[in-house]
Amino acid sequence: MAIMTKAQAKNFAEMDDFMLELCDFLKSKSVIDATTHRSILLKGFSRMVECLQEKKVISAREAKEAMDKGFTSLVYSLAK
Amino acid sequence: MYGWAGQRLRVDLSTGTITKEPLTYEYRRKWMGGRGFNSDVIYNEVPANLDPFDPKARVCFGVGPVSGTAAPSTGRVTVTCKSPLTGGFGDSNMGGHWGAELKYAGYDQIVVQGRAKHPVYIWIDDDKVEIRDARHLWGKFPREADQMIKEELGDEDIHIVLIGPAGENMVRFACTFNDVWRAAGRTGHGGVIGSKNLKGIAVRGSGTVKIANPKAMMDVCNRLRQAFKPDPMKIGLYEFGSLCLINVANRDGWFPWRNFQGGAHPLANNMSGETHAKTVLKHREGCFACPICCGRFTHIKEGKWAGEEFGGPEYEHAVPTGPRVGILEDANDIWHNARLTNDYGMDGIETGGVISAAMEWYEKGLITTKETGGLELEWGNAEVVDKLIPMIATRKGFGAILAEGADRASDKLGLGDKGHYYTLTTRGMTLPGDDPRGLGFGYGLSFAMGTRGGCDHLRSLCCLELSGALYPGLNTRILGDERPNKPVTTVGKPYMVYYEENQKATTDCLQVCCFTTHWCYTVLTPDQVEYLNAVTGLDFTEEEFQEIGERVYNLERAYWARQMSGAREDVVPERFTTEPMPQGVDYQTNVGVVFPLSEMLKKYYKYREYEPGTGFPGERKLKQLGLDYVAKDLAPLRSKYLSESEKKKKKYYY
Repeated sequence: MAIMTKAQAKNFAEMDDFMLELCDFLKSKSVIDATTHRSILLKGFSRMVECLQEKKVISAREAKEAMDKGFTSLVYSLAK
Repeated sequence: MYGWAGQRLRVDLSTGTITKEPLTYEYRRKWMGGRGFNSDVIYNEVPANLDPFDPKARVCFGVGPVSGTAAPSTGRVTVTCKSPLTGGFGDSNMGGHWGAELKYAGYDQIVVQGRAKHPVYIWIDDDKVEIRDARHLWGKFPREADQMIKEELGDEDIHIVLIGPAGENMVRFACTFNDVWRAAGRTGHGGVIGSKNLKGIAVRGSGTVKIANPKAMMDVCNRLRQAFKPDPMKIGLYEFGSLCLINVANRDGWFPWRNFQGGAHPLANNMSGETHAKTVLKHREGCFACPICCGRFTHIKEGKWAGEEFGGPEYEHAVPTGPRVGILEDANDIWHNARLTNDYGMDGIETGGVISAAMEWYEKGLITTKETGGLELEWGNAEVVDKLIPMIATRKGFGAILAEGADRASDKLGLGDKGHYYTLTTRGMTLPGDDPRGLGFGYGLSFAMGTRGGCDHLRSLCCLELSGALYPGLNTRILGDERPNKPVTTVGKPYMVYYEENQKATTDCLQVCCFTTHWCYTVLTPDQVEYLNAVTGLDFTEEEFQEIGERVYNLERAYWARQMSGAREDVVPERFTTEPMPQGVDYQTNVGVVFPLSEMLKKYYKYREYEPGTGFPGERKLKQLGLDYVAKDLAPLRSKYLSESEKKKKKYYY
């Protein structure tokens, strides 16, 4: 499910420190709520991937890829 | 009750009153234990304007819900007070076996207040607690007093916390030991204990820790102990202790040569863990339930100091009175200095920090032999350092000035801003032997933001940038990116520091050794939650675990805010941000690097929700963490901090 443009994905991929901005973005798109936003910041990237998979925003394959390759892979998945 | 003992022991040395206070379920769930319990007591009972040496000041010793169990390394204790060195929040923690013994005696925390009429020690024998005469112990080294108390009480198996002569003389960076050699080094609580005429606390516990789910507990503990066997950091720490870092520090340019004038030196291997193991290592030691055993015991075989023995040293204990003061040629001088700071009971980091600052003042002509009482403070002058350490501990001559800590000493000598440039402190506390231009930008950020001042490797402990690369996939799992594995980069560091500070704070509340959870990433947060729930029978989640750390961190930050310390003080010494790293050895990896603190600070503030102007914890965050009363305390101080009169006061300590 595309929730961002390729340009936005590129912008995230070029960030030095993306976690807060990406959480804020997902919340602004109502993909996650405030509780999940907080949960991700407390637990880290794996929680973000888990949550996006639970919500079927990304597939199991994309989730695995994100855990293998990191957030760049994830944000381009979010732009598909 | 499972896990916790469920009570706090309070000893008032002025009145001789001994009370036991129950710790409610809600309280335990909110603060977890150890560092959390202590930070809460210090925030609520030690106001901002109280002199740390005032009898009304408190000193706390805390253990956690898994202390004394079979989880990896559960012997740690946090000691907390208002720091006489910085005037702000101060804590430090130590290994050994005393923490487990306190739990077996039936206590989660001891709070000591008041001042005894003459030197005393506290004797805790399960539920019997006595205040005993210690006049005959005053002036003794911890190793001497430990033996005397054991003989007096007729039990070699008890465990004792002690201060040395420096604590008795209220040296502002005196520390505390248990089992003779295991030090809680930083922030000067040894002086606070000495100000109370308290020499130590002996404990014998015959009880146990009740485990809610013994099978689940044994399963997780067995699994983790097996996992430690191949852990690469564990192997290095066991073989060479934390001195295993010397050659790494030299290669990556964070070896503190001459007060951080340089970051590498061709002779560094003289004091490496490998050399130590070949030349002076007598045996290895482990703390309670530890699968790592990084402790050393040193016996000097040759030269001027032949025959000297002591527990240690750690990396952070050896480098301050070694390369930081220019001593590197003969490692026996370094081992000897470490033995001296132990015996006199002083924080090795601060001792080396204040001496190296004085040496640089001397080098730059800010002081001469007129001020030093004839001591020639030249780099590498081992004879002078050998003389100065006891002089500091006993407050004799020039040592009395240095006993005040680097920033106060600079002011007493009237050296102005030039003097402070060379003190290499943040919020009044000397940075440890780790140069952020090489060790890592995450570490540097955490030195600026530490809630106990220019704190050391044991605050955020963002080893994800130090040893993270040894654990493939770990940085991605937490940070979503492997690039933060590299120390000298800003990539991912603000979030790394935020995450690790929370994680480390809760680890300190559990009172397990962070070497199991950070340097060695064998035990991760889910593992900690698993053994915590097996012990307590409760249902902690990972989020709740991390949130406790965030609560503790914000409370400690609020303590500083109450002292009018905030954004202006979120700095590291200018040397790191303005002087490019020089070349010390030809294989050094960080030549020319400066530390870019300001690039990361703004983002870090956003994670923490600190106010941009004051740097105080934001009201929304405090309320989210159940700290509404703290938000009320800070409300009137926010505008005051920003006022013109307050801005004019450049503060190095409080």
